[in-house]
Amino acid sequence: MKLGEMTGLTIIEKIIKTHSSVSDEEIFPGNIVWINIDLVTARDYAGPQVVDLFQKHYSNSKTFDNGKIIFTPDCYPYGNDPKHAIDQEKIRVFAKEHNIQVTDLGSGIGSHLLFRRGFAKPGDIVFGADSHYNILGALGILGQGAGDVMLAFAMKTGKSWIKIPETVKVILKGSYKWPTTSKDLALFVLKKLHEYEITGQAVEFYGECISELSIEDRVTLCSLITEASGMIGFVPPDEQVAEYYRQFNINLELISADKNAEYCSELIIDIQDLDLQIACPPHPHNVKPIDDVLGTPINSIIIGSCTNGSATDIQDAAKILKNKEVDPDVRLGIVPATREDFISIHNQSAMATILEAGGNIFGVGCSTCAKGQYGLTGGKTAVTLTTGNRNTQGKIGPADVYLASPVVAAATAIQGKIARPKIRDD
Amino acid sequence: MSIKKISGKAKLVIIDDIDTDQIFHQSLLTMHDPQEIKPHIFGNLEGFESFGKGNHEGEIIVVGKNFGKGSTRQQAVTGFLAHKIKAIVGESFGPIYYSNAVNSGLLLIEAPGISQLPIDNLDALEINIEDAIIVNLDKGNEIKCKSIPKPVLDIMEAGGLLKLGEGM
Repeated sequence: MKLGEMTGLTIIEKIIKTHSSVSDEEIFPGNIVWINIDLVTARDYAGPQVVDLFQKHYSNSKTFDNGKIIFTPDCYPYGNDPKHAIDQEKIRVFAKEHNIQVTDLGSGIGSHLLFRRGFAKPGDIVFGADSHYNILGALGILGQGAGDVMLAFAMKTGKSWIKIPETVKVILKGSYKWPTTSKDLALFVLKKLHEYEITGQAVEFYGECISELSIEDRVTLCSLITEASGMIGFVPPDEQVAEYYRQFNINLELISADKNAEYCSELIIDIQDLDLQIACPPHPHNVKPIDDVLGTPINSIIIGSCTNGSATDIQDAAKILKNKEVDPDVRLGIVPATREDFISIHNQSAMATILEAGGNIFGVGCSTCAKGQYGLTGGKTAVTLTTGNRNTQGKIGPADVYLASPVVAAATAIQGKIARPKIRDD
Repeated sequence: MSIKKISGKAKLVIIDDIDTDQIFHQSLLTMHDPQEIKPHIFGNLEGFESFGKGNHEGEIIVVGKNFGKGSTRQQAVTGFLAHKIKAIVGESFGPIYYSNAVNSGLLLIEAPGISQLPIDNLDALEINIEDAIIVNLDKGNEIKCKSIPKPVLDIMEAGGLLKLGEGM
């Protein structure tokens, strides 16, 4: 059935329907249906276990379609520890045997490569070993994180089960100005959605500000749905997304919810003149206006992750750091999300600006969400501010962790304490 | 195998928003073996750090809202299976955790209101799957829980998702 022939469905219901053989009557929230998956991926965490499970249960089998599987090692980008090196090798050997593509170390975070390189397009369903695969909802792709068992099964069968979620229609009302950015928006929306309780639900974002958001901004917005225990947030694809996909010679049929789609509820979030926001320990949803914590001493800062590791994020930070010095007590680390982002910050001289200010630049990949990168702390004195998406107690280290935008991260790096940026964006 | 009734002693871990990093920390991710994973369960959850080293066979764990949110971490399910716990009953579960649990045969029961029900550690609980009721035999009280969808029971009764895949 073609997208245009359906009625009464939300975005996720439409995507599920086009990937299953169920009747219209079976598409309703709460129902569990089997779906065909367009792309299955796994990374260097979980990937080795997926290989083990596949070999144990399906030893003499082929995968469902080796052209629809990619391994994306991104958690431990240096591979400089024997256990991790062996795990990564396991992926490469399996991939070679089954003729499966690997975006190997130095390529970047899998979820970002999927849209940066056009591996997935709006309307697709992709599963990977990453709880932030739902950032792909920013482009209208149904991305889902899955564990080892689901991925091994999906690599064999090309199928998965999915519980059709309820959808909340979220309308963002108003607009904001620099130095407020999409990260402040994402944090504020996370706080509201956590309070609203969206466990297991999908979200669709609407509002006049949406068309103003770049693809990177939309990714940032959708990246914190996981932290509210939501399933996925969608920004309905528009002409900007259609134009983006033309570089891959992909002409899109833009997916949208039907006018008579049934939402479980509608929530209006007022974002008019939104101020800078910061997530305080011990949960990502513990979001406060920056004034509540201004002046808090910080000595470890990371700009990166699938939430804010794009070239535009790093350039935002570089603007603040230009001709300034990082406080001598602060260690500032930059981790670009993908090789493409790394090349951009080099070409646009953000890289030199950051190095001259005293910041450090590390190889591309995930940052503090996985242990294999710069930014983990050992002791109780290393208080961290990161542009990432999780500050769960003890995840990065024993001390407190704050989440904020690249702009706030850069201003804080200069002052050695949580700070507002002092310069204008010009 | 048909799952109709489950009983076990209660073990209370009623804290909202327990993240998979609190269940099984990211620094241990190269561990694959269930027996190696087992002692680390709740190793990063304040007040429960020694949980993994205890004997929890046959227990029903009672948790709060959004249990298992966070990373797609299969070990955070595997460790409970290694402990041979009977089920986890909670207000709500992170969606990926729910799926990971079902796929490997760990029974999760959603029971909104369970954290308000009077239950003490070691109370005898009985879960009637068909009627979707949880009974505290020691206190004589009960609470409705959500029905387990049939496809989920089918996967569990088949012995997990990978077994189903063998015939596909």
